[in-house]
Amino acid sequence: MSELFSPDFLFRNAILGGLGVALLCSLLGIYLVLRRLVLIGVALPQASAAGIAAVFWLTGHGHAGGADTHLLALAASLGATFVALGLLVLGQRRSRSPAEWGVGALFAISSAATILFVAINPKGDIEMAGLLRGELLAITDADLRLVAGVLIAVSALFFLFRRDLLLTSFDPEFSRTLGRDPLRYDLLLYLLIGGGIALGVMLAGPLVVFGFLVLPALAALRVAPGLIAAFAISAGVAALSFLGGFWIAYQADLPAGPACVAVAGACWAAASLGMRLRARRSAAALVILVAGLAIAPGCASRFEAAAQRAAAPLPRGSLPEALLARPIAVLPFQNATGEALTIPQGFLDAVVARALGNPPTQRSYSVPDALQQRAGFELERRGYRVSVVPAEQRRSVLAGETGAAATAGAPAGFTGPVLAGTLRRFTLTGSGLLLVQLDLALIDAQSQELLWSGAARRPVSIPSALTWQEILLDAGAPIFADAFGNR
Amino acid sequence: MTDPAPLLTVDRADFGYDGRPVVRGASLVARRRELVAVLGANGSGKTTLLRGLLGFLPPLAGRVLRGPDLRVGYVPQRETLDPLYPLSAYQVARTGSWRDLPFWRLAGARERTLTRAALAACRASDFASRRYSELSGGQRQRVLLARALATEPELLLLDEPTAGVDPEAERGILDLLGELRDTRGLSIWMVTHHVQALAGRADRTITVSEGRLRPEAAA
Repeated sequence: MSELFSPDFLFRNAILGGLGVALLCSLLGIYLVLRRLVLIGVALPQASAAGIAAVFWLTGHGHAGGADTHLLALAASLGATFVALGLLVLGQRRSRSPAEWGVGALFAISSAATILFVAINPKGDIEMAGLLRGELLAITDADLRLVAGVLIAVSALFFLFRRDLLLTSFDPEFSRTLGRDPLRYDLLLYLLIGGGIALGVMLAGPLVVFGFLVLPALAALRVAPGLIAAFAISAGVAALSFLGGFWIAYQADLPAGPACVAVAGACWAAASLGMRLRARRSAAALVILVAGLAIAPGCASRFEAAAQRAAAPLPRGSLPEALLARPIAVLPFQNATGEALTIPQGFLDAVVARALGNPPTQRSYSVPDALQQRAGFELERRGYRVSVVPAEQRRSVLAGETGAAATAGAPAGFTGPVLAGTLRRFTLTGSGLLLVQLDLALIDAQSQELLWSGAARRPVSIPSALTWQEILLDAGAPIFADAFGNR
Repeated sequence: MTDPAPLLTVDRADFGYDGRPVVRGASLVARRRELVAVLGANGSGKTTLLRGLLGFLPPLAGRVLRGPDLRVGYVPQRETLDPLYPLSAYQVARTGSWRDLPFWRLAGARERTLTRAALAACRASDFASRRYSELSGGQRQRVLLARALATEPELLLLDEPTAGVDPEAERGILDLLGELRDTRGLSIWMVTHHVQALAGRADRTITVSEGRLRPEAAA
């Protein structure tokens, strides 16, 4: 768990930003639940997602978006959320229909609109995945500052107006006799809820936002002896659920958002069970605290199942059949990206080693090293015999280019076919896309004859990947399918 | 019994919703140290009149004159309060003491004293630490009464304070209201259906029938 907080951990922003969103939602969720506005917690994130999808379609934005896309998404999310909120509030005040009618209609329309806007957007599938699963991976330092600022502002406003918000929520008519205008505090609360949801959806997706709006608050209200305690417990459950869920996702190769929500759900179930069994509230609170951690070890074993699924045999593609009888030496890949692409020590080692059935080592890897390992694995899946040459034995055997126009020198010490690779691009975008350019060449080491060449030059969608192993596991198969001609 | 300066005067006022009057031509005067029962069948306009007295409904016609800085305490029907809130009886009663507390100030000794005194006056101290939603109907009513008292009211308006409570609890609440009238000099107006239980307790009764107030009568 400690490696998640390491300053050089690539996904530090994803964790801190996601934690900020979880805490923000857990605070807003208390009043959302108390005011029986849970359905709004479903409908508004969906409206926000529809807003993002609509604006992306209108502006032609799609994959590989940068800072502009990020800002555009935030503006769209805020705009759609507040328009929806305004319509709901106005409709509620001017109509005698039950409030849930409007909320239900908003949810249905927003869900349909999201899918339709994504469908008519040529780059829609990417947005769809991003919208539904969130973009934790793309959280920037600026986003972190924004989340922190909003979290501090919401906490401060909740503290400053704690009495007024309680009065106007618990008994609006009584609050009027005390000189408080419920409408004013309704607006304040709706502004905070709308802003929090819009920001949360943009960074973490509707599922995470709705899950953390509702589940920590429900768990807290089950056991809390008072309102302040409810806020504290809700925040605690949210923090525990997010960190626990992230850790489980990290260990078990699962999507992080659903895993976090699942842990929050387990906390709520534990609290409900504890209270139903008439346990003391403090005991139920303790159950909540340990529930998330208790789930983790069981989930971790699912990694092996994922690795087994990934090992299924594949067709040969464009690779030469004649080489099936000869062992192929996979040489260390060259890094021509101009970037170090170093993977923090300890992550990939275990993943690759476990995927290949080897004991893990403590040596650090770079992305080209990982792709070399993956190339060997993918060749084996296609029926070839492979030996992966360790990076320590690397020699300057390949001069210049590889790929279609490659001319390769004979690698010393090898007599059979060798696979050489050059990584020219490996860029992670803010939209959950990996832009890869990898050139491969199979060379006869003795004759220096080029036996085969291929290249992967396509964007790979990795919307749910949050860690290096997720990225490389998710991206590995499509990269080599492209290069080996399986598509 | 009479007071030269009435707390509140309603002069030929209409009260209603969306411009349509439900109560028409209401005229009445609220004075200190009296217990007034507002009677009437369901849908007669009792609650609309009460909302007019509270100031929630501005008069569609006529006028409502309030004394300077009139402090109104309000006890709603207890079913209108959501049991989902994790509040103890003390915490519910305490909200009444926040009337003059600006948002930037922390609640202090004054608010604590007001709350405890109000709970004691309503004989609700014994269950003050229990969760409000777990109290019986009569106990909840006492807590809501304590909350209204913590606002230090001159005029106390109650909406069906004895609805749904057992006869013993009902007698206890009515005794308490009489006591508050006598000891604190409050003007207490209560909307109720329970005519029999009021016998000998109310100083006046006002009957609302089809939106019209019948002439006031001594109980």
